Amino acid sequence: MTTKASSVWISDLSHTFKKQTKPTLKNINLTIPKGQLTALIGRSGCGKSTLLQMLAGLLIPSDGAVRINAHTVTKPSAKWNMMFQKPSLYPWMTVRENAALGLVFSGTYKAKQDRVETLLEMVGLAEHKDKNVQQLSGGQQQRVALARSLATEPEILLLDEPFSALDAFTRTQLQNEVAEICHNQGITMVMVTHDIDEAVAMADKVVIMSQNPGEIVGEMEVNLTYPRDRSVDEFISLKEKLFNEFEKIDIAKQNSINEDNL
Amino acid sequence: MSDSQIKPQLSFGQALAGFKNLPNWLQSMINATSGMLILLLVWWIGGILISANPDTEAFAAFAPEATFSALWYLIETGSIWETIYSSLSRIISGLFWGVVIGVPTGVLVGYFLMFRQIANMPFQFLRMISPLAWMPIAVLAFETWDSAIVFLLAMATIWPIVFGTAHGVQRIDPNWFQVARNLGADGYQMLRRVIMPAIAQDVFAGIRLAIGVAWVVLVPAEYLGVTSGLGYAINDARDTLEYDTLAAVVVVIGVIGYLLDFIAVTLIKRYSWHVE
Ligand SMILES: Nc1ncnc2c1ncn2[C@@H]1O[C@H](COP(=O)(O)OP(=O)(O)OP(=O)(O)O)[C@@H](O)[C@H]1O
Ligand SMILES: [Mg+2]
Repeated sequence: MTTKASSVWISDLSHTFKKQTKPTLKNINLTIPKGQLTALIGRSGCGKSTLLQMLAGLLIPSDGAVRINAHTVTKPSAKWNMMFQKPSLYPWMTVRENAALGLVFSGTYKAKQDRVETLLEMVGLAEHKDKNVQQLSGGQQQRVALARSLATEPEILLLDEPFSALDAFTRTQLQNEVAEICHNQGITMVMVTHDIDEAVAMADKVVIMSQNPGEIVGEMEVNLTYPRDRSVDEFISLKEKLFNEFEKIDIAKQNSINEDNL
Repeated sequence: MSDSQIKPQLSFGQALAGFKNLPNWLQSMINATSGMLILLLVWWIGGILISANPDTEAFAAFAPEATFSALWYLIETGSIWETIYSSLSRIISGLFWGVVIGVPTGVLVGYFLMFRQIANMPFQFLRMISPLAWMPIAVLAFETWDSAIVFLLAMATIWPIVFGTAHGVQRIDPNWFQVARNLGADGYQMLRRVIMPAIAQDVFAGIRLAIGVAWVVLVPAEYLGVTSGLGYAINDARDTLEYDTLAAVVVVIGVIGYLLDFIAVTLIKRYSWHVE
């Protein structure tokens, strides 16, 4: 197997929030391959969002570092962009204005206007681009957020449970679309989810996290072609494998914590 | 069948039903016009009652006819414009200081919990003091009557603007900051593209209240010291027993107050981002 070019390195990263004694994240080491989609799964509260915020430069780890293409991440940048669970669009702007905001901030909107139009077409909002975003459905709003994130041509797109508020049909559709965008455009993506189905449907690699403290406890490659058929045996057995793996590790860890506490 | 039944008659119920079928804008225009007509009617009846009563006969010039001819005279001679100009420039200066001090204070109060906790009691306390109560202090502290009045108006306008701004800032979704930061916004862009549009409508709502209070405070404030402005004109007309002029100035005050409020409402609408 050839070694894949990596674009994100997380080395010896630990984090303890202010006024807390126990670390939230401990000794995280992870490389994220370029142009692929890596899913981060784990129980609620294990520190997935915290880790993602550090990749985005929105939070600085108390120990260790995140490097992206040889830069140490110390602040947010349009090159590594985060898409949140809520679309958080600006309600006083139209669809187009929202999507273009990153370009407006970098002063390149005039030059790259076409890109916004293309993206809005790609996410299926061409006919809604002059509407106020409050007139859109939840799924459409999340598409605007996706276009907004992609407009700045990020090398890395970080996604924090981006589809969890959507209905099952819209969710499945967007999952497929985003995985396709990732591979077609060669954007490195890191996605947090606690949906095993979503992880297996989208990711090239699934990283398993455990809690108290948040650690990386396992990895699983998903070698299926895109678009993935979720009804084939291979898909279903991978899901089961991931689920069993997760449970085994999780139970083992909880037991060892309980023993420590005895 | 009798004749009266054949004659087409529009009952009140039918008229009401017909009215409800009119387009909404027409209904609201008809309603607004009737409101004004009722006001004029009450005024007119009041004028008749006043002149009919020997005790109040001397005030007959308050009636609409006399008032409107006095108003026309004020407009024709042009003397009203100077009066309006004086009052408006005081209002604008007062409002200017209210905004300059009130908006940043409101941002601090809205953004920082600690600031809010510190400021809450004193601000609520100060807010309840009638701006006119500052008059003696203002007269001592300022050299000219004009600046004393502007100070009073600023005291009147600051509180609604502070509270309006703070309310707007508190309604900001913290995710908006995070998304903007994430998209590479610098401090100025954050202010210009996120904070300002987010709070604009609440700031203007505060300014609208401020204009209302300031306009009410202005007239009694102009009773004192100054020799120009609408308040002065009222006081002057009273001293010279020109009740028709007095009433005409009252009309002018009402009309300008209405226009100022209209401007504020237009701005609120312009910057409002809630889709109804
Ligand atoms: N700003 C903060 N200060 C203190 N503790 C925090 C802060 N943010 C998160 N935490 C704690 O860190 C832990 C991890 O939080 P995080 O949001 O990263 O979890 P998560 O894995 O994303 O959970 P979920 O799946 O529910 O989103 C939690 O126990 C949380 O309470
Ligand atoms: Mg989370």
